[in-house]
Amino acid sequence: MGGMPLTFAGRMKLVPEACQGILTSRIVKAENIIASCPKTDQHLLDQMKVMGCETTNNNVEAAGSSDVVLVGVKPNIVPRVLHDIKSCVTPKSPLVTSVALGVTIDSMESILPDASRVIRTMPNIPALVNCGASVYSKGTYATADDVTLTKRLLLSVGTADEVPETFMDAITGLSGAGPAYVFVVLEALADGGVKMGLPRPLAQKLAAQTIMGAAKMAIETGKHPGQLKDEVCSPGGCTIQGVAALEAGGVRASFIDAVTQATLKSLQTAGK
Amino acid sequence: RNNKYRRQLQTPTGTVPQSHQSRQPPGNIFSKMGVSDDVVQPKQAEAVVQDTIIHLETTKDCLKPAKIGFVGSGNMAQALLNGFVNKGLVEASNVWASAPSDRNLAKLKPLGVHTTHDNGLVIQECDIVFLSVKPHLFIEVNAGLSPIEGDHKPLFISIMTGISIEKLEQMLSGIVQNPRVVRTMPNTPCMVSQGCCVYCLGSNATDADGIIVKTMLSSVALCEQVPESQLDGICGLAGSGPAYIYAVIEALADGGVKMGIPRQLAQSMAAQMVKGAATMVLESGKHPGQLKDEVCSPGGTTITAMHKLETGGLRGTLMSAVEASAQRSKELGK
Repeated sequence: MGGMPLTFAGRMKLVPEACQGILTSRIVKAENIIASCPKTDQHLLDQMKVMGCETTNNNVEAAGSSDVVLVGVKPNIVPRVLHDIKSCVTPKSPLVTSVALGVTIDSMESILPDASRVIRTMPNIPALVNCGASVYSKGTYATADDVTLTKRLLLSVGTADEVPETFMDAITGLSGAGPAYVFVVLEALADGGVKMGLPRPLAQKLAAQTIMGAAKMAIETGKHPGQLKDEVCSPGGCTIQGVAALEAGGVRASFIDAVTQATLKSLQTAGK
Repeated sequence: RNNKYRRQLQTPTGTVPQSHQSRQPPGNIFSKMGVSDDVVQPKQAEAVVQDTIIHLETTKDCLKPAKIGFVGSGNMAQALLNGFVNKGLVEASNVWASAPSDRNLAKLKPLGVHTTHDNGLVIQECDIVFLSVKPHLFIEVNAGLSPIEGDHKPLFISIMTGISIEKLEQMLSGIVQNPRVVRTMPNTPCMVSQGCCVYCLGSNATDADGIIVKTMLSSVALCEQVPESQLDGICGLAGSGPAYIYAVIEALADGGVKMGIPRQLAQSMAAQMVKGAATMVLESGKHPGQLKDEVCSPGGTTITAMHKLETGGLRGTLMSAVEASAQRSKELGK
């Protein structure tokens, strides 16, 4: 895929890290990446420059010379950026992708010229450490090649799944917001450890590794989580005591509530 | 004659396992019962199963049908007896039953069972004796027993809650030396042949005794051997469990009625649904969580309801119930 210019348009704190992931995967060479954002975020551009990317303060200039544009601004700024660049968007080029929460394909297509190719994506924060859970939905005119390309880009920072756009709100509630839920769990487990006499750094490290390990087991063994739980809980042992405490605390309902509330908020924001 | 012994025994949970073949004198099918050669020469007559009927092997070549006795003839005893007879394990004419009054005996007499008010007679006469009086009455019953005459050494099978093996052996040693005791805990659905039953061997009971107990009780229940230490937990789960489920069924039916379904239909549906779900767990071999997933389609009715259950703390509550019952069982057993 040499020689394919990729633009990161707009101010997004996470872009440099995501870019790092993309570069490591060698899908695109650094010199074929142009990053654009306002002068106020010069420090972000500097980070991109360090990685070998081209930089500019002019969105239109960046988009005009690219095959793929990744719009990484805050959701409420997306319309403005799209208006900026629409003059250089044609059905032929570029493919416009977005990572903005809650910005629908329909809203993007209505701003851009007719038959523009659009793909909506949603990565999550652990993409920063190449452990993202990303999803994408294709717009009306996006081609199979566009989908393949997007998938490859997202795979460079974690997993990638194509979904119907109708899933986006629930996915926001689950894997979008999910890392925050897990950070809460992590902290609480560590608190438990500290309460029972462990030093904080050790408790936190063990808590994090435990979560990562358990997730890895779930992903790699393919066993039902209930089955995995059973396998740790020997009769009358310590683990089942802990599980009993969790059930008494209604932890399952809490997580279902969390995903529900976050999803409802996403729906609300989209005005549905 | 050997052909008679090749029958497989059907239990609610499947067949009794056929163990290794070993050299056996004709008429002895211990190996078919999964009992090793070592147990072949018992001091006293041991019970075996021939053509599904429980027999007593008095000598290597002679089998006669075992006599089964019930001291106490209440609901559970009747349920067990009916189960045994229906499965062809015993013939009523080889059964003795005792009770203080005729109230229960009147139900057994028509089957052809020998009835009496004399507990001692049942014990003296029978090879396998079920102790099925209400637990709090057993002290009195035991006190009224005379030592067993001759070298008759029956196998005692207790279905009385809360009386430990140690206590049983201590009490029964007043009428026989080194009493053979097996303690069991059946649950009430044994009455409809859908019971759960566990058993523990006493210090003088043999593995062969265990297999007899398992065979007999498997005619009305899922039956497994456990260490005595697990009995409190089993009580909390399978002993008390039916009550939890009755409450569940009633509540589900209430939900149905609330949503406009006539009571009778709501109740039958609730009960059959519970039965069906349980059958799926027992027969599919799948994890219950997996089965749950398979009913819960995305954004559907079931997952919406599951959320309500989780919010209500269903799982934690059930775990606490089992624990509370087990704890109480422990307290009562002291």
